[in-house]
Amino acid sequence: MKADTDAEAPGLTARAWLSRLAEGERRYQRLALLAGGAVGIATIVQMALLAALISALLIDERALQDLTPWLLGLAATLFLRALAQWGQEVAGQAASLRIRRRARAELLDHLERLGPVRLTGHHGAGLAQRLVDQVEALDGYFSRYLPQQVLAVAIPLMILVVVAWLDWLAAFFLLISAPLIPLFMALVGMGAERLNQEQFSAVARLAGHFIDRVRGITTLQLFGRTAQATREVEAVADDYRRRSMRTLRLAFLSSAVLEFFSSVAIAVVAIYVGFALLGYIDYGPADELTLLTGLLVLLLAPEFFQPLRSLAQHYHDRAAALGAAAGLVTLLQEPPDAGRGAEPVTKAEPGRPMAPDSLLELDGVTLSHVGRGRVLGPLDLRLSCGETLVVTGPSGAGKSSLLQLMAGFLAPTEGERHLAADARFAWLDQRPLLIQGSLADNLRLAAPEASDSQMREALARAGLAALLERLPDGLETSLGERGEGLSGGQVQRLALARVFLSPAPLVLLDEPTASLDARTEARVIEALGRLAAEGRTLVIATHHPALLALADRRLALEAALVRETVDA
Amino acid sequence: MPDSRDASLIATLRPWWRLLDRRRGRLLAGAGLLLLTVAAGIGLLALSGWFITATALTGLALAAGLSVGLDVYVPGGGIRFFAVTRTVSRYVERLYNHDTVLRLLADLRGRLFGVMAGLDGHTLSRRRASDWLDRLTADIDTLDGLYLRLLAPAAVALLAILALSGLLALWLPRAGLAALALLLSAWLWLTLGQARCGMAASRGQIEALEALRGRLFEHLRGLAELETYGSLAAHRARLDAIERRLQVDQWRLARVAALGTALAGLAVGATWLVVLVLAALAWQAGALAGPVMVLMPLAVMALNEALAALPMAFTRLGATRAAAERLNALEAARGTSVAAVLKEASEAPPRGPLGVTLDAVGLHYPGALQPALSGLCLSLPAGRRLALCGASGAGKSSVAQLLTRQLAPSAGRITFGGVALEAIGEATLRERVACLTQRVELFDDSLAANLRLGDPEADAARLWRALAMVELADWAAALPDGLETRVGEGGRRISGGQARRLGLARLLLREPELVILDEPFAGLDAATAARLADRLDEWLAGRSVVYLVHQLGEAVDPPGIDHILTLCNGTLCAEGQDVSGWDR
Repeated sequence: MKADTDAEAPGLTARAWLSRLAEGERRYQRLALLAGGAVGIATIVQMALLAALISALLIDERALQDLTPWLLGLAATLFLRALAQWGQEVAGQAASLRIRRRARAELLDHLERLGPVRLTGHHGAGLAQRLVDQVEALDGYFSRYLPQQVLAVAIPLMILVVVAWLDWLAAFFLLISAPLIPLFMALVGMGAERLNQEQFSAVARLAGHFIDRVRGITTLQLFGRTAQATREVEAVADDYRRRSMRTLRLAFLSSAVLEFFSSVAIAVVAIYVGFALLGYIDYGPADELTLLTGLLVLLLAPEFFQPLRSLAQHYHDRAAALGAAAGLVTLLQEPPDAGRGAEPVTKAEPGRPMAPDSLLELDGVTLSHVGRGRVLGPLDLRLSCGETLVVTGPSGAGKSSLLQLMAGFLAPTEGERHLAADARFAWLDQRPLLIQGSLADNLRLAAPEASDSQMREALARAGLAALLERLPDGLETSLGERGEGLSGGQVQRLALARVFLSPAPLVLLDEPTASLDARTEARVIEALGRLAAEGRTLVIATHHPALLALADRRLALEAALVRETVDA
Repeated sequence: MPDSRDASLIATLRPWWRLLDRRRGRLLAGAGLLLLTVAAGIGLLALSGWFITATALTGLALAAGLSVGLDVYVPGGGIRFFAVTRTVSRYVERLYNHDTVLRLLADLRGRLFGVMAGLDGHTLSRRRASDWLDRLTADIDTLDGLYLRLLAPAAVALLAILALSGLLALWLPRAGLAALALLLSAWLWLTLGQARCGMAASRGQIEALEALRGRLFEHLRGLAELETYGSLAAHRARLDAIERRLQVDQWRLARVAALGTALAGLAVGATWLVVLVLAALAWQAGALAGPVMVLMPLAVMALNEALAALPMAFTRLGATRAAAERLNALEAARGTSVAAVLKEASEAPPRGPLGVTLDAVGLHYPGALQPALSGLCLSLPAGRRLALCGASGAGKSSVAQLLTRQLAPSAGRITFGGVALEAIGEATLRERVACLTQRVELFDDSLAANLRLGDPEADAARLWRALAMVELADWAAALPDGLETRVGEGGRRISGGQARRLGLARLLLREPELVILDEPFAGLDAATAARLADRLDEWLAGRSVVYLVHQLGEAVDPPGIDHILTLCNGTLCAEGQDVSGWDR
């Protein structure tokens, strides 16, 4: 089988990642294999018992009553076979469930290590979708395809040995029907591969067109073109059908070949055995055939091909898993910044001792991005307790980068960042996080232990007391998906309430009043003033003049050049 | 089974069932081919067993010196016939049924698109997110398996069971009856029983996946805050709880499906064993020939193929049901939206520029804490130009959506040329009112196709003129493919400014009587905007115009404003400002 969807980049490939995942969950996979092998053996035993029973009845003319133990044995085999079948599926699924959980955890760990800044390059909803659905797409590969890949070789071999022992000529017929099992599998694989690729791309194109038109549906409504577009959607789907049918005709041939060999093998074996039993064939082992051996060979012939047919059916599981893994591996290959390890970054970093009242110190830090060169610094900065620093500058001067650097989301390219031993900080985003849940759930993100009265107090300080009174269920009011029903200013003040709740002495705010109208901005600034009055240290990145009034100190950034001015 | 659940399952799937029914002929033919494949498989194994036994018995008789004969050519031919039939019918069946499924997919998409085209602005905007769209296509794909994964295999298995039992009854009524009883109960369990056992878990699985997507989105989007507050672990615990719930459901589904697979094998095995015993007894009594005795259990054995796929598909019926429910909900949303309510409207305002009045208009989105618009009164005399200013979120876009009837007001009345907006016919409204939306939506198609949205009959010369008006003609002429250049998904292959100008050009191809322009010059440099303003002024002559702007006087203002109003928090917040004589 040929190498396909492997990730382009060196290092981790989709296949390598999949096998590493499989490596970690050998126990249940082995169990699935054992059970699958047991199914194969039970099948052979069952067919042998059946053939022997019929032969005993018809040839030896024994009474059915004398054969009761055989019948019981047959019933027991049937039951054991069903049990093994159940075991194979359940064990496969148990392995797959564990692997999927581990894969998702690994991906999420990696994304957390990449940190918020690196993640801004990704579409959040798309990323979440991938972590859920692409990991789910790995299911069939681990639960069905992997065990079947082994069984599709082992079981036919087992059957071949049994048949060869019964009648080597019949085994020869089976063998030439399936010239060489690996070759055969390659044939199946290529066909299924092609089928999958064609189907995937056709469906993707089709879905692309559909989504494109749905995205623009408002425009179609405004131009009065919806009826025409509906006809077009149908026509495009029909056109894809005609085109993909042309390739499917070829792709289905491979499974037809498998079907053909399986049918022909039964027919050839039946006719060979029949003619041999009649004494028409003098060659080889033919005259030693009996009803028992002949019937058993016939019954085993379809079972010889069954595992291969199952493998062909599960082949799309493999293609789906490789496709998904290729996408996920590109995520895993993004290296996190040095200094952003698994450890929480809020820990104090050892280094030279800091001044007693300083919270955070930056020593000659610079920040460079690949392809953009230096975007910040070199910069020395000391933040002391209780001061408010306003960082200004044109867009692109590195205001946000400086804040991200202070927060530890980015590691400096050069220089060092020192944080007071017990310093914790709070972050106020331009687009604050709202989780699905109640108002209280959202507040407790900052302080899990906060009491109701503390939360009310924090809301009041953030200027949301009036809103709280209007809410039907108070703190327990559900905010709905993505904070629907709250205005932009209210969301910003809710995030501020979180800051009030948190005990963090250092508060980093990135454009806290962007996209707010003047009246709401004034309220947010008022609340920020109260925050500063509590003795917290504030660092505000902004280009809004109104916020400058809060500053004890200003830092004006110019593109890769820093000038500090000290206000009275 | 409780009736209410059953009824609701049937009711949920009924619309989709009806959609399938439109292709009844194809579906029946496809199922027929499936049945033929199964029948040929049964025939092949059964006849082969018969043949071997017959030859063995004849061979023994010959060896004993008896003079017996056996026609080997008819059964031999029969075996070859079944072998070829099975191969050919499988191939044709797969091809034919795939064709059918793709046709069904076209039907489904067409139907759904028609449904979505009738949704109102609010419903649509909540559903525009790409994750929602992905889910929608996934739902369609789930539903397209309704025929090939669920209905056809179940029907074919049932028919095969009936036919096989009938065949067995021809030789031995007792065996036929026993097979019917055993296989029919197995069939019932493998379809209905499996579906029932898996229903709660497969629906739960879909919900848990949805919840996981939502929480993961929060987690990734809010990483900065979660990390600084030290709540990453706490939020991660929430994620883990959902994932555990998901895996509990998936584990249950796996066990139920595995049970079904094992039972399918066991039921077929038990049936052939019983049939074998009954046939052997009949043979001992001399009522049955030896070869037929072998044929009967082997025929049952070949039925395995028809039953094997049922449990997996039916255990996950809940997922199909959930998909159908979501799509049904979409149709229900159309039922309440403006377009559906106004289907009967057919009036037309008098020709010429439209005068517009809004009388105490209010708009309250369901679930919102405060109204988007309240008590809004304004009037625009025919042929005049009104500028409506306001910060983002003040309600400008809501006004545009009301005027283009993408939303219905929750209070008050809107008239165009003295005719109530809700009474105007859909085609008339679309012909006479044009709107440049804040976000220009382009389709993944050629420049020409995107422009012709404005006028499907426009010839190339007209398109070039429209492009020249927005100063894109030189750019387009320099492109190797000219007007046939594709703009990419959502216009991604061209710049934002070009996309906006293309949106404007598309509008200039129309002849509307009321024009709504949302930030017409956003994203354009001042010089270009100024030149465009002059040409736009000319085109706007003789039409009524509503401009929606963030703030006037910042860059280039739209041309010929007669009157200015300002919106704050969904209501007019300052006195109107007359720029030129304003007939009142």
